Amino acid sequence: MVESNTASSRQGPDFTDEGMRNFLAAIIASSDDAIVSKDLNGIVSSWNEGARRIFGYAPEEMIGQPILRIIPPELHYEEDFILSKIRSGERIDHFETIRMKKNGERFPISVTISPVKDESETIVGASKIARDISERRRLDESRYRLAAIVDSADDAIISKDLNGIITSWNNGARRLFGYQPEEIVGQSILKLIPDDLRHEEEEILRRLRAGDNIEHYETTRVSKNGDLREVSITISPILNSEGEVIGASKIARDVSNQKKVERLAIEAEKIATTGRMAAAIAHEINNPLASVLNLIFLARQPGLSPQEIQSFLETAESELERVSHIARQTLGYYRDTGSPSEVHLKDLMENVLSVYRSKLLSHSITVDSKFSDLRKIRVRAGEIVQIFSNVICNAIDAMPGGGLLSIRTTRIVRMNGDAIQVVIADQGSGIRREHLDKVFEPFFTTKGNLGTGIGLWVARQLVERHGGQISISSTTDPGSSGTTVTMTFPFRGAEETNVAEAL
Amino acid sequence: MIYSGSVICIPPSLPPWPPDSTKSASEAHQSSLQERRVLVVDDERLLSETTAAILTRAGFKTMVAYDGFSALEKAAKFRPEFLLTDIMMPAMNGVELAIALTKMSPVIKILLVSGQAGISDILEESRQQGFEFPLLAKPIHPLKLIESLNALKEN
Repeated sequence: MVESNTASSRQGPDFTDEGMRNFLAAIIASSDDAIVSKDLNGIVSSWNEGARRIFGYAPEEMIGQPILRIIPPELHYEEDFILSKIRSGERIDHFETIRMKKNGERFPISVTISPVKDESETIVGASKIARDISERRRLDESRYRLAAIVDSADDAIISKDLNGIITSWNNGARRLFGYQPEEIVGQSILKLIPDDLRHEEEEILRRLRAGDNIEHYETTRVSKNGDLREVSITISPILNSEGEVIGASKIARDVSNQKKVERLAIEAEKIATTGRMAAAIAHEINNPLASVLNLIFLARQPGLSPQEIQSFLETAESELERVSHIARQTLGYYRDTGSPSEVHLKDLMENVLSVYRSKLLSHSITVDSKFSDLRKIRVRAGEIVQIFSNVICNAIDAMPGGGLLSIRTTRIVRMNGDAIQVVIADQGSGIRREHLDKVFEPFFTTKGNLGTGIGLWVARQLVERHGGQISISSTTDPGSSGTTVTMTFPFRGAEETNVAEAL
Repeated sequence: MIYSGSVICIPPSLPPWPPDSTKSASEAHQSSLQERRVLVVDDERLLSETTAAILTRAGFKTMVAYDGFSALEKAAKFRPEFLLTDIMMPAMNGVELAIALTKMSPVIKILLVSGQAGISDILEESRQQGFEFPLLAKPIHPLKLIESLNALKEN
């Protein structure tokens, strides 16, 4: 005994019968699983430490007792079934059921039951290995729940490894991109990226390796049938238990409809701006025309001296000049084809001011403008007119009691290329601090029913399409209130625009 | 402006204004002097002055104002039977002026003119206050204008 123990510690298990028995006894005693045996009548004959831990009964409480003690009453029929199987020499593998602890608590368990035979191969009982699977059940459940969520999500949820190979693909991904999981899992994510945007993937992988998240990145992806999909994607690194990045999960949302709505809103705003400008232009044109009608009528009255007639007609002529000047300045806007052209921003600003001339006058607003943009800039003139018109209309609305509207254009020198800066400042009521963050959001307005809430939002879209920036600062302090809108248009804006649109 | 001298006309005697319904026969005769008196208001000076010149030739007595507040002041002395006013004007718009004058003299006849479409808010506001005024779109032919004023008088 002592010898064999020494031998086993030195050379591993000894394979004498006794050594083997001791070795097995040690394994049974130290097992986490419950290992018990019972005879063919279901009376417990052995009960290990694992069984004590799992069921709460000490060996002396169970040995000699029916195994039914740990079986919930409503499941007692299972024991008949188990015993009948055992008697016929069958083994029951990983039978999942419910058992009861000493304190009455029921819990899920997985049992493997094998017949125990004596030397003559007669079945004398059963050995039973039982494992508490509560924890596994919980993990399974949460895994199934997550899988169900992933699968039922409308968004495409995809995982990939650090080489960009797709490792999972949910139903949303199937709907959005058209590939079945078996077609795409194992393939490169580049299959989803249009050829001209492949460079994005390198950047995405670079940021993922650094452990960064990428949130709500708007881009274009391509589906199985070649259709382009506008998507907003969020990509997060997947870390292993050591905290190393081993891949990425990617959630893509189809924003094609949202983009369509945005485009429609921009169109609607263009029409609204056109309408506003048309109303202002109508005023500018109809007034001098009314005077012309009057002057011609007067000139035709009998009894006038040739000098009087001459004077009426000359005045009528100069009024007609005024009409054609306004028409030349403003109606050109409607001829804008949308393609960029070389213009002075100063000219566009003056066009807008002439459109709103009488509105400015009727609000007692003085315009102080200084234009220092001597170099032409390549822009889409119609869009710039719309931007200026929106900002100036806001300034007019903010100054119902009159004030000074200051307009400056200056060339600024920057690291990444020169630009023209346009600053439009009013002395109006100002924008409250809590509203200032929202002014560029679509459908935000402080003008009640009179505002569409998309003027500044559209202005920002259009400025950004020119590669520029727009910012706004405002104070509501009485006496010094007012709002300043600053816009920057890079000289290289039109070229950059195409790149920006491609992205 | 070259026309202003010919159109501003100060009558020798002024009837009570607003007209008093309890006045005597002689007073009623006196108040007929008030007839065909038009206050022409437009911040577009050439337009208000030429319009006044035309109306004067058509037999109206006219006075010109270039904004709402001075129109109010002038109306108190001039006691017009008609107010012909532009809508979009600085400080006080034509509808506000029309409402103020109607309150001063309920019998005053109002004709609004406007060269622009974006005035529906102003008109809506006056409707909500219970005022509705006829409106003509600029440009208006002078004969049509005279006809409209005469039609107002008959109503």
